[in-house]
Amino acid sequence: MLSSTLSANRIALAIIFILLLVIPHIASSYIVYVVILAILFSMLTASYDLLTGYAGPLSFCHAAFYGLGAYTSALLTLKTGMSFWLALPISGMSVFLFAVVIGYPALKLRGHYFAVTTFFFGHFMYLVFLNTRELTGGPLGLGEIQPPESIFGIDFSGMTANYYLILIFGILMVGFLYALVNSGFGRLIVSIRENEDLAEAVGVNTAFFKVLAFSISAGLAGITGSLFAHFFRLLHPSTFSWMTSEMIVVMALVGGAGTLVGPIIGAGVVTFILEVMRFAPELRFVIWAILLIAILVIEPRGLAGIYARIRGGK
Amino acid sequence: MKHFRKVMLVITVMAMVLLGLNTPGFAAKGIKIGYTAPFTGSAAEFGVNGWRGIQLALEEINKKGVIVGGKKYTIEIKRYDSICTPTDGVANVRKLAMQDRVVAILGDHCSSVCVAIGPLCDEFKIPGITIECAADKVTKPGHEFYFRMRPSVGLMAPLITPTIVEKFKPKSAAFLVVNDDYGLGLASAIATELDKFGVKTVVDETFERGNTDFTVYLAKIKKAKVDILFYIGVTPEGAMILKQAKEFGVTERTVLIGSEEMGEMELVSLAGPEAAEGTYAVSLWGAVPADFAERVEDRFDAPMHYAVIFGYDALHVVARAIESAQSLDPVKIKDAMKKIDYEALEGRIKFENFEGYRNQCRFVPSLIQWKDGERVPLK
Amino acid sequence: MEIFLMQLGSGLIIGSVYALVALGLNIIWSITDIPDFAQGSFYVIAAYAGYFAVTLAGVPFLVALLVGMCVGAAMSFSCERFLYRRWRERTFRGAARVQLLCAIALFFLFANAANAIWTSKAKIFPAYLKGSLLGFSYMRINVLLAAIILFVLVYLFIMKTKMGKAIRAASMDLGMAQVLGINIDTVNSIVFAMGGALSGAAAVLVSPLYSVFPTMGDLPLLKALVVVILGGFGSVAGILICGLGLGVAEAFGATYISSAYQHGFAFFVLILTLLLRPKGLFGRV
Repeated sequence: MLSSTLSANRIALAIIFILLLVIPHIASSYIVYVVILAILFSMLTASYDLLTGYAGPLSFCHAAFYGLGAYTSALLTLKTGMSFWLALPISGMSVFLFAVVIGYPALKLRGHYFAVTTFFFGHFMYLVFLNTRELTGGPLGLGEIQPPESIFGIDFSGMTANYYLILIFGILMVGFLYALVNSGFGRLIVSIRENEDLAEAVGVNTAFFKVLAFSISAGLAGITGSLFAHFFRLLHPSTFSWMTSEMIVVMALVGGAGTLVGPIIGAGVVTFILEVMRFAPELRFVIWAILLIAILVIEPRGLAGIYARIRGGK
Repeated sequence: MKHFRKVMLVITVMAMVLLGLNTPGFAAKGIKIGYTAPFTGSAAEFGVNGWRGIQLALEEINKKGVIVGGKKYTIEIKRYDSICTPTDGVANVRKLAMQDRVVAILGDHCSSVCVAIGPLCDEFKIPGITIECAADKVTKPGHEFYFRMRPSVGLMAPLITPTIVEKFKPKSAAFLVVNDDYGLGLASAIATELDKFGVKTVVDETFERGNTDFTVYLAKIKKAKVDILFYIGVTPEGAMILKQAKEFGVTERTVLIGSEEMGEMELVSLAGPEAAEGTYAVSLWGAVPADFAERVEDRFDAPMHYAVIFGYDALHVVARAIESAQSLDPVKIKDAMKKIDYEALEGRIKFENFEGYRNQCRFVPSLIQWKDGERVPLK
Repeated sequence: MEIFLMQLGSGLIIGSVYALVALGLNIIWSITDIPDFAQGSFYVIAAYAGYFAVTLAGVPFLVALLVGMCVGAAMSFSCERFLYRRWRERTFRGAARVQLLCAIALFFLFANAANAIWTSKAKIFPAYLKGSLLGFSYMRINVLLAAIILFVLVYLFIMKTKMGKAIRAASMDLGMAQVLGINIDTVNSIVFAMGGALSGAAAVLVSPLYSVFPTMGDLPLLKALVVVILGGFGSVAGILICGLGLGVAEAFGATYISSAYQHGFAFFVLILTLLLRPKGLFGRV
């Protein structure tokens, strides 16, 4: 029984993987665009899951880190002529460090206090993006961002090249997160989530590890932001509002927090549903919200739970 | 192997649907035209009104049909929600171009989206016509395949400011504008022009879209005792500003001048005739035939709004271009659009290249004043 | 000086709206651990209910207010009874997350439904009182007065009635309360109904001032969240003070510091407060 379940899993993964590989060649640029957005959101939800699924604290500001990475990368390349390939890691690192600085005081707060604080931090960052017009262009947007400079002779001004670039980064990021959550670090942060006082009593520096998880999560979102900036080539504060943060939370939770694969599925499914329903402009979000609630009623563990049920043959 | 089959089923279904999304629309009996606009979120009123105008035009056009190559076609509109965000606007346009195979695209209403989709129109070689984006950079330098009827903020300011200075002879001005590209762009353009006449901007405030409480700003403005106050936003915001300005006594000293929105009947229906009485607004369109306004009222149970007019004109422009080109080839339609020259509801439509602008019409805005709940054009 | 007083007044009035929504939110949150985002959408629907009561049925404002409160209460009660309650019993990890997700989904659902059914065009709520005092219309002052009255009523209910004591017990220690025989289902129902009623009241009180539109619940919800945290899940009076305080802080911040960040000041107020008192101003240690 067990081995056939595992192989069913593997085959499913393989099919999805192959689909992802060949999509640019069999689908229109519209589909490819949507899939790129889905992959970007998967990266966001996966990195978000590290913090909220594994380490525990519920945060509502992930889009702010996404935006920080995006604007940083865009401004670095626009104002200093830096190459994208350098701007990307620098943006990621900057967001990581920024998160360390704000994470230490913030994570002293527990549960609800932390959640609401991150919510407002997110909104505040949105206002900063909106109002520092000299830097970000504010509501007029920051445009004319250049695509990644070509390497190995690959030209990145087209959709297909960008697709594979983002796909590769997505796979790398998920791989990194997978290794991380299955490592000692991963087990440690889960133990902190389950019982922080006990972990402290045993001598674990819980603050350090929580901040680390928070910052890695943020840094990865920053890297995703950089990828988005050079793909979409136009940044607007509306892309990084509290609605987006809420969307990420929804995708991660409906997928099934704390499973890493759950949030990724959540991102894919939510993007898919919203795209398919484009034909009903006013009812789109109403139907989607109803579907969401229906999923929760059927299986509270989210999509990951539904998948587990199908696998388990229930 | 039972679970395996189930898993396979789920994945196959999803893949099929995904690819099914991909099949281009097969040969239609009608001509497909796309429309991207905000239908949800805080900018929803634009899409709603634009759609009303388009629907009115659609009925008229389809009654006669569009004759191309001796065959009669009807127009079908595919409309998608952009929520006023560039990422959704781009998704809409890609879907319209790749999947729905439209021959022209109407929209968007928000400048941030227009800036994102202009290049796509060039890329897909499908003509696009914006309903009401106002930022300069939408058509400056612009794109070969993207058109605009209404003037941009950079074009409007030098045309309307002399009228304002001449009429009110102000020495100081205040701005209370919505924090988006339109509000900021128009305010800055007008402030620059005012400065040329020696009028100083004393108070410059921005508010977030959807804001309803302006008491904070109005207090500052009242204290500054300015001669004119420009307020820029959408009609609900404008209505609140008017009501609160009256409530706090700002209107006693200061002349209120609103952006185009504030010249719409909707403002009076929201603020009430007393609050609007005596205030002014910039207007992009003159008198509209009374029966048109009535049609809008009867059909939609809603007051006139300039987005209705722009939507109406936009579709007519495209329909004319199709007939004039006698072709369903988007490139030929685009060429025909460049040659259009006729009197539409909002004014003369002729797309020209001038002063760095491309595919831009020239309208001269005017001022209107609210008297007894009616908009009275000045001059 | 005139500006100072005007802003103080404005701040107090807008703050009372925050406080009303926060009160309901706070009680729900302390007992069930759910930040009920959905209250933001009950706010919207209640406002429409009040609007239609006045314009279609022609009832006086007070009746419309009651209608709004009932609609808010009914919606809130139903959501708890048929949705949130499902995940209370489960002992699986993450039940609270499911409830939160459901709350967010409900918020999207009703706000967008309002947009789809009644369109995004703002509906003007007719004025029910003419005249003003010191530059503030009577309707505006009413918001503050009504808020205070409602707060007093809730306070009396919580402190003096038997059900109120049960609610307090449940918010302090749920397990203990159950052991003592308090029916948690009843407590939950009442608490949610109250929360919905308060949100509804805030919405209808504010409608004549700002009109009714589908996205009107966004900002009050956000601010209410902050107020709850500022108050530290504490006393009823604490919520009122924090709500009013936040309103005033925003008004002053927007006037003297920067109007563009008017809605961002909540963040600073939050940070400052939590730095000084990590459990909130009136939080129980």
